[in-house]
Amino acid sequence: MAKGIPYNIALKHYRPQADRPMPRMEFGEELLHKYHPDYIRENCIDLTVGVNAGDPCHRQLAEVLQGDSRIDEADLAGSPEIETDVLVIGGGGAGCAAALEASLAGAKVILATKLRLGDSNTVMAEGGIQASVEKDDTPQKHYEDTLKGAHGELDRKLAAQMVMDGPEVIRWLIQQGMQFELDQYGDLMTRRAGGTSAPRVLYFRDYTGLEMMRVLREAVSNSNIEVLDYSPAVELLSDDSGHCAGAIFSSLKDYKYILVKARSVIVATGGIGRMHLNGFPTSNHFGATGDGLVLAYRLGAHLRDLDIFQYHPSGLAYPPHLAGTLITEGVRSAGAYLLNAGGERFIDELKPRDYVASAIIRECAEGRGVYAGDGKCGIWLDTPSIELREPGIIEKRFPKLLHLGTKCGIDPRKQPMLIYPTLHYQNGGVIIDQDGASSVPGLFCAGEVCGGVHGRNRLMGNSLLDIIAFGRRAGVAAAKRAHGFGRGPKKITIEHLRNFRRELMLANMPLTRKSPLLFPVYAKFDDDTDYDGLRKKLKIGLSNDQD
Amino acid sequence: MSIDSENLISLRINGKDISAPKSHSVIQALWYAGYPRVKGVGCLQGVCGSCRVLVRRAGSTKVTTELGCELLIEEGMDVHFLIYPTPPHQSYQLEDIRSSWEVQAKFHEIFPEAEQCRHCAGCTTTCPKGIDVERGVELASKGRFSEAGELFVECVMCNLCQTACPEMIAPNHVALFSRRVTAYFHIRPSNLINRLEIMRKGGLKVIE
Amino acid sequence: MTKTKSTKAKTDPSLNQVLLNPAGRVGADYKAWMDYVGGQGLEKALEDPKAIIPMAKEADLRGLGGSGFPTWFKWNAIANQDPERDKYLICNGNEDEPGTFKDRVLLKECPHQLIEGATITAVACGINKIVFYINPHLTACIDAMRKAVEQWQTSDWPARIAEKTGLRIEYRIQPSSGHYIGGEETAAIESVEGKFPFPRGKPPYPSDFGVHGYPTLINNMETLSNVSHLVRNGVEWFRNLGLGNATGTKIYCLSGDVLKPGVFELPMGTPLNDLVYNYGGGMLVGKKLKAVFTGGPSNTILTPKDIDVPMDFESVAARRSALGTGAMIVVSQGTGIVKKVAEYISFFAASSCGQCPSCKTGTYYMSLLLNRIGTGQGTRSDLDSLINLCKILPGSGRCHLVNGAVKVLDSSLYHFMNEYEQSLLKVEG
Repeated sequence: MAKGIPYNIALKHYRPQADRPMPRMEFGEELLHKYHPDYIRENCIDLTVGVNAGDPCHRQLAEVLQGDSRIDEADLAGSPEIETDVLVIGGGGAGCAAALEASLAGAKVILATKLRLGDSNTVMAEGGIQASVEKDDTPQKHYEDTLKGAHGELDRKLAAQMVMDGPEVIRWLIQQGMQFELDQYGDLMTRRAGGTSAPRVLYFRDYTGLEMMRVLREAVSNSNIEVLDYSPAVELLSDDSGHCAGAIFSSLKDYKYILVKARSVIVATGGIGRMHLNGFPTSNHFGATGDGLVLAYRLGAHLRDLDIFQYHPSGLAYPPHLAGTLITEGVRSAGAYLLNAGGERFIDELKPRDYVASAIIRECAEGRGVYAGDGKCGIWLDTPSIELREPGIIEKRFPKLLHLGTKCGIDPRKQPMLIYPTLHYQNGGVIIDQDGASSVPGLFCAGEVCGGVHGRNRLMGNSLLDIIAFGRRAGVAAAKRAHGFGRGPKKITIEHLRNFRRELMLANMPLTRKSPLLFPVYAKFDDDTDYDGLRKKLKIGLSNDQD
Repeated sequence: MSIDSENLISLRINGKDISAPKSHSVIQALWYAGYPRVKGVGCLQGVCGSCRVLVRRAGSTKVTTELGCELLIEEGMDVHFLIYPTPPHQSYQLEDIRSSWEVQAKFHEIFPEAEQCRHCAGCTTTCPKGIDVERGVELASKGRFSEAGELFVECVMCNLCQTACPEMIAPNHVALFSRRVTAYFHIRPSNLINRLEIMRKGGLKVIE
Repeated sequence: MTKTKSTKAKTDPSLNQVLLNPAGRVGADYKAWMDYVGGQGLEKALEDPKAIIPMAKEADLRGLGGSGFPTWFKWNAIANQDPERDKYLICNGNEDEPGTFKDRVLLKECPHQLIEGATITAVACGINKIVFYINPHLTACIDAMRKAVEQWQTSDWPARIAEKTGLRIEYRIQPSSGHYIGGEETAAIESVEGKFPFPRGKPPYPSDFGVHGYPTLINNMETLSNVSHLVRNGVEWFRNLGLGNATGTKIYCLSGDVLKPGVFELPMGTPLNDLVYNYGGGMLVGKKLKAVFTGGPSNTILTPKDIDVPMDFESVAARRSALGTGAMIVVSQGTGIVKKVAEYISFFAASSCGQCPSCKTGTYYMSLLLNRIGTGQGTRSDLDSLINLCKILPGSGRCHLVNGAVKVLDSSLYHFMNEYEQSLLKVEG
């Protein structure tokens, strides 16, 4: 990355200004090809093992998809077994929605989550949720915007289903107790998302995800859904016909494996931000390590678009301790400009995210960025400009931004924030149908772990809609499947692991890399018996005594 | 203001003496120094309430409660992670409240402790988000749910107020109840209802 | 009082000489008290009120509620306040901590001893309002005190005191809130004012700004019960009661795995082993002494090597513990220290008033971690966490509650670390 203008100098030259002209430059696909990280050729390889062999995949993701299991048959001896109708893996928005619907449909539900209930990307979503409710908007427009943002490469059935579910999803959320911004007449307020033809994003301040998650978490913990917290899934179970029949968890509480036999399994494990693809910072939760993809892939589920990721344009670039932290697209939607070190706009701020992110990367690559030290560059998110136009808007609409500013020692009403794209969303994932069913019977998926809903690029506000719409659908379908099951699964095996291992060996792949990751590498999970449920490296009295 | 992080800061985290660059958060410093940390880490953006820490700053006897992901390290700081979550002890279903006239009565059935508030202000002191927690509990007890909920917009459900309460009130859950009943009974947007009605009648289909 | 005990008292001249002397345990019976030694101390005090504080100083009378603070010093501070202002004396009988049960005996069986002692103190310091602040659960004590105060008020003492000193002393019985924290000085003041017993920050000290802002003295029941005897018998007599450098007597509350638990008034400085093996009848059959929790139980644990410690403030402090209220909770081999400490810490966690989150949340977490370890669920990092809490928490509260909790935990970690380690969750290789 070329160095830009040093932070202090650039800041000194910055002047708040209400209006600045839109740049006249027009960009096409070549902007993406040249600057979007998805197009870094050497980081894209073809998968050699599994049902997607031959498909392009990001190198880092391929490493875990084609990694070896963390467990062996021997590890499971003496592990307790629990039985249930529906097993939900993941305690974020999709998982909770699925669990609530399955439970409502009369199924016995266990929800397992890696850390605590609600620890997810959902809680961090800021901008809002799309649903066509305004009179000059329609589901059709919503569909077309989604299709366009996706560069046409999405599963049309899924996208159509999602936009049609939109208004009902909002009603459901309100009935769970979620609040939205309302106007003076009590109507839902909307704002525009980048790359859309109508204001369609419903929101609650810049805490939409937080509001959603705390409500759903409360709903789940007040239901009869059994929650296994601190229980990362390490593998799925199959029955003798290869259908999904449960999962194996490694409890971080007592360091034992737990086997949960289930008639239907819903994987809602979220995304991959914490793999820091291409060395990018991320706006994702600590637990977003792509576990669900690995689990589903080993069981034989088809995946798609494994080389396509979303880099959110406005991740905080300075100060370093909060680097990668998201600043909602809502700020740009409210009219904040993006400015390079010279104080010039360089793109229409409300273009789809992949364009805006690429443009920021271009500015920095070509030396027009602001240098923040430690090899990090960024450009200005001109927050003072919206405050100039509408005094008080930041405090009223963006309390999280204001709070973030306080933590950075920056007042976003007076000083611009330095931003750089942050790894935000996994566009691809497990292929599902409208009921969240994957290609493996008994295995349902919902939320970010799925692919096809957003194609090559997701619009702001479509992910919160996606997780609730398909989370609920998967919950209903999984409960229905469990009801029609008769007696429980006869035999559960991890035979699929043996097959996968065989394939790895035949393809001369190393068996040294264990997956799923469970936690980011820098958390050193595998080094410490106290956090390690896997009992590989026992050192009593470890506790890292240096003193 | 120097941006390049060169000066190391010495502090103690969970009893371990460590040094880390000054621009690090408590969690980053722990990782920087090579210590594992999994439990008590969450969104790393201050909205999940996972990384609760006790903090004693150099030369002070005061111990405060903060969020580790947002807390920049300081020289001589002593930090302690509080990793175990506190499960709620009350249980309720919004569907069991038949009408909005009954909310206040139900509230006191679900949260009988809320009236016992002894006004020690511990919950307000402990809140890492600066919410006037005690006031929220008082408002909810008086049935002013909408107002109570409004105070808790920034609540990340870290549960610190719950462990801080000597009367076993769970103020964050009191507030969440307040927020939920407000939505459940009072949010009736005509634009949404109209759209749902049109779609119920089969209108506005999407052509793929 | 059973027959056997009183026989024992007769045969053992060291036991129950003064405060718990069987002859003086007459209950709320004014006449019986006057027939015993009642009025003698007050008579002397009225002759020369100014001599009382120096007497207390020379006798080295201490705060027997746990602090061991020189009583005369507090008295002096009150006596030096503006004589025109109201002054309060709070007789602290909030007693609520595990293992302490002495005040209730004094209140129920010797209420006049307390009233006379408090009255002498009032005379010495120019105090006109006496509040008997008693744990509400001790209903029999409150009844006895009510009756005794009534008898006292109808006696000729109030008139004589007024004539002699100009003081018109009002007596009041105020049941406390029953919260443990209400025993803390400033919390007691809040409670007497009718508020929740939240400890106040110091300064201002109660002697300057106490109940409703008036100078206020707070003494423990046991301390005040000593006063009439001290004044009646003189400094020399009082000093000779104690062993070694210690003076007076102390009521020890012995409980736990001993044969004869109970309340024993013994010379201050009586060795611990004498209390346990002689007066307490020794350990329960087949049990060996493992540890003794002293005081609140908010002090450092004593172990068998400390069994010879003379039980006075200085000697116990020399073993890095504290005499506290005189409670001695004896624990035998076979008792799990982790569970025992968990029990006490959860008491503190439940007693924390809530004002200081570091105290409330800190003790809550200690208790949570102890319960995890005590039930075999704890990990090495839980233990590390516990150790670290002991480092970070002390001094962070307004009052000493969190310090006491840390003290007992820290010392259990020091003495019984192996037991903690053995309780940890076994993680298989």
